[in-house]
Amino acid sequence: MSRPALARAAIVAVAWLALATFPEWSQFWESSRFATGIIRQILIFAIFASSLDLLVGYAGLPSLGHAAFFGGGAYAAAIAAQRLGTDELVVSLGAGILGAALLALAVGFLAVRAVGIFFLMLTLALAQMVFAIAFQATDLTGGSNGFSAVHRPILFGIDFNAAGNLYLLVCVTFLLVLLLLWRITTSSYGRALVGVRENERRMRALGYDTRTLKLSAFVLAGAIAGVAGALSSYEFRFVSPNDVALSTSVTGFVMVLIGGAGTLFGPVLGAAVVLLIERVLPSQLPAQTVLGIVFILFVVFARQGIAGALRRMVRA
Amino acid sequence: MIEIRELRRDFGGIRALAGVDLRVEAGERRAVIGPNGAGKTTLFNVLTGELPATGGTMRLGGTNLDSLTTWQRARLGLARMYQRNELFNPLSARENVLLSITSLGGAYRPLRSPTSAEVAGAEAVLAQVGLEGRGAVPARALSHGERRQLELALALARRPRVLLLDEPTAGMSPAETQRIAALIAALDRSLTLLIVEHDMDVVFRLADRLTVLHEGRAIAEGTPDEIRSDRQVHDVYLGKVVES
Repeated sequence: MSRPALARAAIVAVAWLALATFPEWSQFWESSRFATGIIRQILIFAIFASSLDLLVGYAGLPSLGHAAFFGGGAYAAAIAAQRLGTDELVVSLGAGILGAALLALAVGFLAVRAVGIFFLMLTLALAQMVFAIAFQATDLTGGSNGFSAVHRPILFGIDFNAAGNLYLLVCVTFLLVLLLLWRITTSSYGRALVGVRENERRMRALGYDTRTLKLSAFVLAGAIAGVAGALSSYEFRFVSPNDVALSTSVTGFVMVLIGGAGTLFGPVLGAAVVLLIERVLPSQLPAQTVLGIVFILFVVFARQGIAGALRRMVRA
Repeated sequence: MIEIRELRRDFGGIRALAGVDLRVEAGERRAVIGPNGAGKTTLFNVLTGELPATGGTMRLGGTNLDSLTTWQRARLGLARMYQRNELFNPLSARENVLLSITSLGGAYRPLRSPTSAEVAGAEAVLAQVGLEGRGAVPARALSHGERRQLELALALARRPRVLLLDEPTAGMSPAETQRIAALIAALDRSLTLLIVEHDMDVVFRLADRLTVLHEGRAIAEGTPDEIRSDRQVHDVYLGKVVES
């Protein structure tokens, strides 16, 4: 490993350790518990946004239906745990990943046949169908009342009902997902996705089956969104049609664009900005309006997002 | 190596290819010439599968291409240098060539970077087309001539059996034209070339045989000397080229 790569790895390791031990070193701060909860939610949505970025930023697939896999994963985790009568993490998280991946396979099979605005509209329409199913399949999903009292899982005797344990689970999962995405985006496969984004015609002429390549990215991103969805169901102990709704898809898209598409840490920063505005801003301020203004500012003045702006500052 | 029979392609009421027959032997260097609108680029687009044929059959090394997609034809060994560069602009020249090379090993290596052999292969191809030392430069930052060289490198890196060259010297200065023509002339003789080109000096320098397309039909075929002395070809194309 080169010296700059070692330095980067050391910075990431220290930052993650600081994050993972936040509840301990901040315990004397009166808002420590509140802040820990917000960080948990930021990390969960960071996983969701990062999975969407694999499509939007790397493969050039602007999906507006990604919440279908986030919510789909949340429902699958909760329903599997309840129906199978087990709180084992492997079962519910596995069901969340598998459920979201299968859903992404079905949606992606149709969606990757279209490009550009048609792809975007197709993902939107198909996700709305998933939303309608979540809303109407009352026996399975609880319909508009949602699926409440979701059990938090256990793993090797570790009970994630304890807030500290749940925080660690989210932190470790976040790290693993980010490492996986880093490996994928720097691999031959990840570069092939960038190739599809930049020039699909040439990729076909080079012998790449681009439709299958896009479908594989769609399923992979869906499966990772399913991880975020399962963690969300543990966090809130509740899953509702809102988790598969268009508003959640749009939130993910805003996170990616504010943070910086096509970058590893951009969506993480975007998730932090969006959730801090939504959940920490004083209640007198209209959070959605503030978020809208922030979004417009980024689209007009900093299209590369926070990550792009930081990169320019470092280079300057 | 290439066998085309009665190839037709219609655009609405316009017949771009009106039953083209073409047979190119392995290792042959064949130029396809003709006036604008003769169907040369359409022939390439249909041959690579980017446009479906309206009728006729195509074979590559004995394999029927008719029902195959563009990427399947590429895997059979058909490569193309486009008339308008089709590069991956934000990526470096090296990454451009690597995308071509890694396609040989399969796209699904999500946890592996390109191997050192693949990186060395990319450097070798860049050197072959005269881009040594330019591997780290983004494709969009290269000069027009260098972008044409990179376009050729992308096509060569897959080690194809047949290379389609669509106006390889398009938009080049005389010096750049000489350089790219020399690069093509130096390619391995086992590689079958099909060249579409308007620069007749380049055509007569590179081609073993020529096929002349006019209004979607092959009206003549022969050696450079035979084509030069063909009255019909002179009337529909070469005379006009000389006059212009």
